[in-house]
Amino acid sequence: MNRMVQCAILFAALFPCAFLYSGCGPGASAQRGQDLFDLHCASCHDDPPPDLKKQPPKLEGLFKAKYLPSGAPATDTQVRKTIVGGLRTMPAFDQRLSNQDLNDLVAYLHTLN
Amino acid sequence: MNFQRLIPVVCFGILLSGCQSKTKHYDLKGEVLDKNPATNEITVKHEDIPGFMPAMTMSYSVKDPNGFRQVEPGDDITADVITANSGNQYWLENVRITDESGRKTIKPGTVHRLDIGDHVPALSLLNQDGKSFRLGDFKGKAVLITFVYTRCPVPTFCPRLSSQFAKIQDDLAKTPIDFAKTHLVTISFDPKYDTPPVLRKYGLAYLDNDPAGFSHWDFASTNPGDLRKIADAFGLEYFEEDNQISHSMVIVLISPEGTVAKYWSTEWTTAELEDALRQQEKVGVIPTQPHGQRKAG
Repeated sequence: MNRMVQCAILFAALFPCAFLYSGCGPGASAQRGQDLFDLHCASCHDDPPPDLKKQPPKLEGLFKAKYLPSGAPATDTQVRKTIVGGLRTMPAFDQRLSNQDLNDLVAYLHTLN
Repeated sequence: MNFQRLIPVVCFGILLSGCQSKTKHYDLKGEVLDKNPATNEITVKHEDIPGFMPAMTMSYSVKDPNGFRQVEPGDDITADVITANSGNQYWLENVRITDESGRKTIKPGTVHRLDIGDHVPALSLLNQDGKSFRLGDFKGKAVLITFVYTRCPVPTFCPRLSSQFAKIQDDLAKTPIDFAKTHLVTISFDPKYDTPPVLRKYGLAYLDNDPAGFSHWDFASTNPGDLRKIADAFGLEYFEEDNQISHSMVIVLISPEGTVAKYWSTEWTTAELEDALRQQEKVGVIPTQPHGQRKAG
């Protein structure tokens, strides 16, 4: 087997692993995450009422920057922590979203450019 | 006809139409729980409305007179939710009954709130610092009360109420005499989750992280039994379902004599609440017992 073929096989074997561990968690569905986002998050982050005490930040490019709007590192762990525990006037989604929901939401947030 | 004269009028009309706030339409599907002919409102237990709010029970004004007349508690309906002013105003149009077989199973007007002039219930609440107090402790002050739960994800509900109360708190603080003769109380109907430390953290977010603000604005809750009594007294509807709390919205103004002065449930502005609070405060008396003399809980 020549070297090119070996590389192709190795790439094909590793590609799904790289996708799974790209910050989305195993079995995460960005499509389902978008549905959850539309239901729970969009009314604040996409089109917030003007009279809220603090205007929620837009989430486009959330994971493209080094830091979140709060100043914390832009990591999956930090974003999950913010969703579950809330932050300042952002409500906590504690006991409301399952682990799978969180995986899917984070997977969707990774797709926002 | 001189058409040149019409041009500015037409232009002005186009400008005006452009200034009107944008409306959005959403599909609602749910069951009617209550109907109030005095306010043209129906209370609907509805399914998820993506982009507007999760499944919830809430009151809506009905702008369609025929739809309002036909619909009865127990009916399954579909309707258009129209929102304006970024969701701060909303109402129903095109109400259609899809199933009226459940009509006789629900009696209208199941919640009987206190009338204007009635005294507030003497029930104990626990605030963000773990101190107990009663709504009657504020005699001599005009008190504005509302109900939230800290995990509420609907920006036009609890976050809006707390934001409006924060604005009122800031505005009143500009006039020491107004500040001294008024008080704000936010009551959580989720006591299992909204413990004093959770309420304290929530309150601080709306007080710019300044705990001194708690002397004028309490965040409180109580045991489920007393909470239900307080909610019934003020006409608040809430119930837990699928780890989420469906609820209506209520703001109550309490006079310095400790009686119900006014309710708001569907439409209000911060300025209107503030004006009503100041009006009550004018007819009140100077408080004789400082608020700090509450019993420790």
